Amino acid sequence: MSLKPSTSRTLLENSTLVSQGAEAKVYKAYLHQASVSGTDDDGGPVPVLLKYRFQKQYRHPSLDTSLTRSRIAGEARALIKCLRSGVNVPGIRMVDAASGVLAIEWIEGKSLRHLFPGGAEDDDVSEDIAESADEEDEEEDLLTGFYVSRDLLMTKVGNEIAKMHLADVIHGDLTTSNMMLRQGSKDLVLIDFGLAYMSTLVEDKAVDLYVLERAFSSTHPDSEPLFSSVLEAYRVKMGKQWTAIGKRLDDVRLRGRKRSMVG
Amino acid sequence: MEIYRYPHFPTHLSVVHVALFTNVSNSAALRSRIVKAATLAAPEGDIEREAINYAFIDARLITSMLHLQTAIYQAILFDSQKSLRTRTVHSEILWCLNPTNNISEAIRRYGVSDTSSALFVVRITSPDLVDVESGMKCVVEGNIVPQNTLQELTDWSSIKKYYKLNVEPAVKEAAGDDVRERAIIDNIVVSSVAMKSV
Repeated sequence: MSLKPSTSRTLLENSTLVSQGAEAKVYKAYLHQASVSGTDDDGGPVPVLLKYRFQKQYRHPSLDTSLTRSRIAGEARALIKCLRSGVNVPGIRMVDAASGVLAIEWIEGKSLRHLFPGGAEDDDVSEDIAESADEEDEEEDLLTGFYVSRDLLMTKVGNEIAKMHLADVIHGDLTTSNMMLRQGSKDLVLIDFGLAYMSTLVEDKAVDLYVLERAFSSTHPDSEPLFSSVLEAYRVKMGKQWTAIGKRLDDVRLRGRKRSMVG
Repeated sequence: MEIYRYPHFPTHLSVVHVALFTNVSNSAALRSRIVKAATLAAPEGDIEREAINYAFIDARLITSMLHLQTAIYQAILFDSQKSLRTRTVHSEILWCLNPTNNISEAIRRYGVSDTSSALFVVRITSPDLVDVESGMKCVVEGNIVPQNTLQELTDWSSIKKYYKLNVEPAVKEAAGDDVRERAIIDNIVVSSVAMKSV
């Protein structure tokens, strides 16, 4: 039975823990380092993001092994499908399914969640923000640092999700924490495809959008106009498929949580 | 020649020597030597196999050093987990480079052919082995060049063909802008090699 990551485990021990979620621990690591001679024309070692799906004690071991393996496989397949279809996602750098490790391209930048501080924050996002600055100013500063306006950002979001749906990839967990603005190129990068799957169904695409809509409204207050910009860019990129998806989205909104089914 | 170290792997797989040879003049002879060595019986067979115990990779089909490093890493990983699909870790690199599961196709496409003029020669070994470069020079007749020469050697249209990239939106969208197109192709190819096992 695998999930005894002796080699990958040693690699992890020499990496820096970046964050930990319920599903996986995420590290910054370096895979390939030249140690001899030769011209250093690439400007130093390139970091990767290691996603380690650790063993879950609350699961039966054999179920845990097969679930971890299929999650990694699903994530890798979704990523490669997106790459081939021109969606901005991290490239894959190493896969060790037996040990529960996936290495992807390190994206230097900030998540959208970080760029749009919400109301009451309970995680460490707020700690990064200087206390002296007004929250409104902070937000503007973060974005102007990137030289990207909120509207343009929302357009990028809509565009990327549309490209993804055109490839029949459903993200499964669209939130502002899973979107990053890459430093330098200003690309909007979609990350964390751990719950992604392939589907041609209009229902699945509509639900994917609805999840984002709810994520926006719950983490970032007064964000309805933002989401409309997202939908607008999505509509433009989708073309013909939009009619069906847009209609379905309305249906999905009606049956969401805490919705009255009266009338 | 470059040396990459992976101390987290078992010692006999922890050091990788890579040299890029151009103006290779003995590819046909080298290829028949490899084929013959596979069939020779011990003990002379073992000596001969050890003399050519390297991976010989056609440099035309490599998009970047990262591409090659990714295939090498995955091959070492499979060997360390005792899940090699081919006979040695060196032949496994060729399997990793090929998009399909067909081993002979992998060797035919990515290995040394009668007309190869540029070859990557790779040796995966322990830190004890010294003088790897001279061992390589005994086997391959050509010049060792810096690895950034790779940029001039890559055959992008063959790569697009083997990976069926000509129909992909990502590639079609970047048509006309060579630099961007190649970066996209490199990313797809590296990612495909990395995730081939799943």
